[in-house]
Amino acid sequence: MSVTNQPSKAVLLDIYRIATLIKQADDRFIELIKAGQIASPYYSPRGQELIPAAISVNLKPTDYVVTTYRGIHDQLAKGIPLKPFVAELLGRATGTCKGKGGPMHITHVASGLPVTTGIVGAGLPIANGLAWAAQLKGTDQVTVVNFGDGASNIGAFHEALNLAAVWKLPVIFVCQNNRYAEHTHYTLGTGAATIADRGLAYGIPGVEVDGNDAVAMWQVASTAIARARAGEGPTLIEANTFRFRGHLLGDDSHYIPKEEMAEAVAADPLPRFRQWLIEQGHATDGQLADIEATNVAAFEEAVQFGLSSPYPDVSELDKDVVAEGAQA
Amino acid sequence: MATEIILPKLGFSVNEAILTEWMLPDGAPVTKGQLLYTMESEKSVQEVEAPADGTLKILKDAGETYEVGTVIGELV
Amino acid sequence: MTTASPKKMNTAQAINLALHDAMELDASVVVLGEDIADGQGGGVFKCTAGLSAKYGTGRVKSTPIAEQAIVGAAVGGALAGLRPVAEIMLMNFTTVAMDQIVNHAAKLRFMTGGQTHVPLVIRTTTGAGFGTGGQHADYLEAWFAHTAGLKVVAPATPADAYGLLLSCIFDDDPCIFIENLPLYFQPGEAPVRGERVPIGKAKVVQAGRDITLVSYSRTLHDVIAVAKGLEKEGISAEVIDLRSISPLDMDTIRASAAKTGRVVVAHEAQVDFGVGAEIAARLHKELFGVLKAPVARVGAARSPVPFSKPLEAAFVPTKERILAAVRETLN
Repeated sequence: MSVTNQPSKAVLLDIYRIATLIKQADDRFIELIKAGQIASPYYSPRGQELIPAAISVNLKPTDYVVTTYRGIHDQLAKGIPLKPFVAELLGRATGTCKGKGGPMHITHVASGLPVTTGIVGAGLPIANGLAWAAQLKGTDQVTVVNFGDGASNIGAFHEALNLAAVWKLPVIFVCQNNRYAEHTHYTLGTGAATIADRGLAYGIPGVEVDGNDAVAMWQVASTAIARARAGEGPTLIEANTFRFRGHLLGDDSHYIPKEEMAEAVAADPLPRFRQWLIEQGHATDGQLADIEATNVAAFEEAVQFGLSSPYPDVSELDKDVVAEGAQA
Repeated sequence: MATEIILPKLGFSVNEAILTEWMLPDGAPVTKGQLLYTMESEKSVQEVEAPADGTLKILKDAGETYEVGTVIGELV
Repeated sequence: MTTASPKKMNTAQAINLALHDAMELDASVVVLGEDIADGQGGGVFKCTAGLSAKYGTGRVKSTPIAEQAIVGAAVGGALAGLRPVAEIMLMNFTTVAMDQIVNHAAKLRFMTGGQTHVPLVIRTTTGAGFGTGGQHADYLEAWFAHTAGLKVVAPATPADAYGLLLSCIFDDDPCIFIENLPLYFQPGEAPVRGERVPIGKAKVVQAGRDITLVSYSRTLHDVIAVAKGLEKEGISAEVIDLRSISPLDMDTIRASAAKTGRVVVAHEAQVDFGVGAEIAARLHKELFGVLKAPVARVGAARSPVPFSKPLEAAFVPTKERILAAVRETLN
């Protein structure tokens, strides 16, 4: 089953809205960190926005998305409410996790974000469990799990793909291949020519796509999600992309050749998509500017909410270790 | 109302950083987003933009190491 | 599974009964592990026999040999509202899944500020005595007890295995359920169907005045044998079966230690940095000046589990070594 449909104008604008919200969030967080207002490790997704934007328009709140420390794009795309989201990154009591998780563990159950992990590869086996539950309950929920090229070399990746294939689970493995695993280039860490090739090794379809092409990404995602919903099993998607701001903020990307970075920045998918939308007649510059302005205002409201929220009380150390009333 | 220029934490295990260079002289007018100074931590050089408009008042000299969180200047 | 209630059963049967009863009671209970479905023999020690025949291979799944995948699936299933019971065939293999256990199962409730929790059970077996060697017989309870967010239990009798397993399955947090290889075949009193044993509650197996002997799992039976021998010498030993490692029932231990003033802790795990060390540290703090002797600890030799029979027999805490510790504590 392959979706060769084109996304509708409404879908395209939704993808744009999400992608530009992610970029604005990223810019604003970096501004706050550099101004010394947040002291926290920060893993920027700048450059990878179109991937979760194009995926999420195919998902419902009851579908699950699993992601990692480089996950604000996946979380925003899934529809996490902005105020508690920002508050969590600021470590406040009003955060999604009462400030106890932080950026590597953003969780919002009502949005279908049950787990975010700071351990490379660990989300894949967990995604299988979420998918297994949906399979048992007989719902058509799907689970999308996001990870990087680096994760495709860790044991958990291999165990999880194999198990998902054997149990024919409704899970979509999305490798956001940004070519660098921490500071190490793909060619120095990965034996296979492409990560999509690894699907074959486990008996599942492996699809390679330009993750910076909104339409192509949407088509591949729609196909995989429809497959999973229909009970046909898992798919491995390798979405090729690039990250502009290093592994972690503070990393000046000295291990990336300057020409390579310059080329990637010149091909920034967001302004390219914006331009394409106008050229195709899907929106005017003014309409897109309105979308951007709405995002900025909403996000700024969330930032002010976060900055003015209290920190959690020290008594929170004793809470949520185990169920209330039980002995830890 | 003056805006403090606070030396940020950029990096994983950073508690201090070198203020390598002020990109503008003391007393210069500054616009928000303009490149203000560079810093080095964990062998990584970062450029930092001005957090607000104002006139630059330098409080700490370049070339020295300071703790993260140090107020290195103000925009008045 | 039979509806008859025999008077005696062995631990493997008791565990099997608990799994059947739990799965019957609650459709969210699911079971997974290597070779556990009936097509693969119902588990290498038959603890899961009959489950897939009765409840289907949707809820009862034999897995590939992939501990990270097994425990990860249990974590994800638990997050989505299931109560997974994952079997990790031997305790040494939990090391392959440590990330999922320690970084995820133990921590997700806290890190999510209570939004999610992980009600899974990891059933795992260990114990020397079958010549399985250095990588198949380690007791690792101290590692897991050292991790906030995990519960760790180690029953010594069929009835306690049944009751504790039910409690663990219906507990809302992750539990490590430690089984012992030789004990699978040891008969004991059958459990009362449906009766749970509370987590964190020790049991005074026999009351005494002169010395407190604390133990769990297989070693408990050696301690009981030593206590019977001491009786003949006119020494009255109080024997406590911990049943749960974490949370630890300090109330019961403390009350006994305050009464006798002398304590020996015996376990099959290594002495150094073990459960005995934790108990000793707490008792020394809480009953300083009341104890008549330092708390003694007996455990395995400081080495990997050896293969050769005489070495393996000397490796575990023997009755002789337990007795020696008792005598030293009494003097």
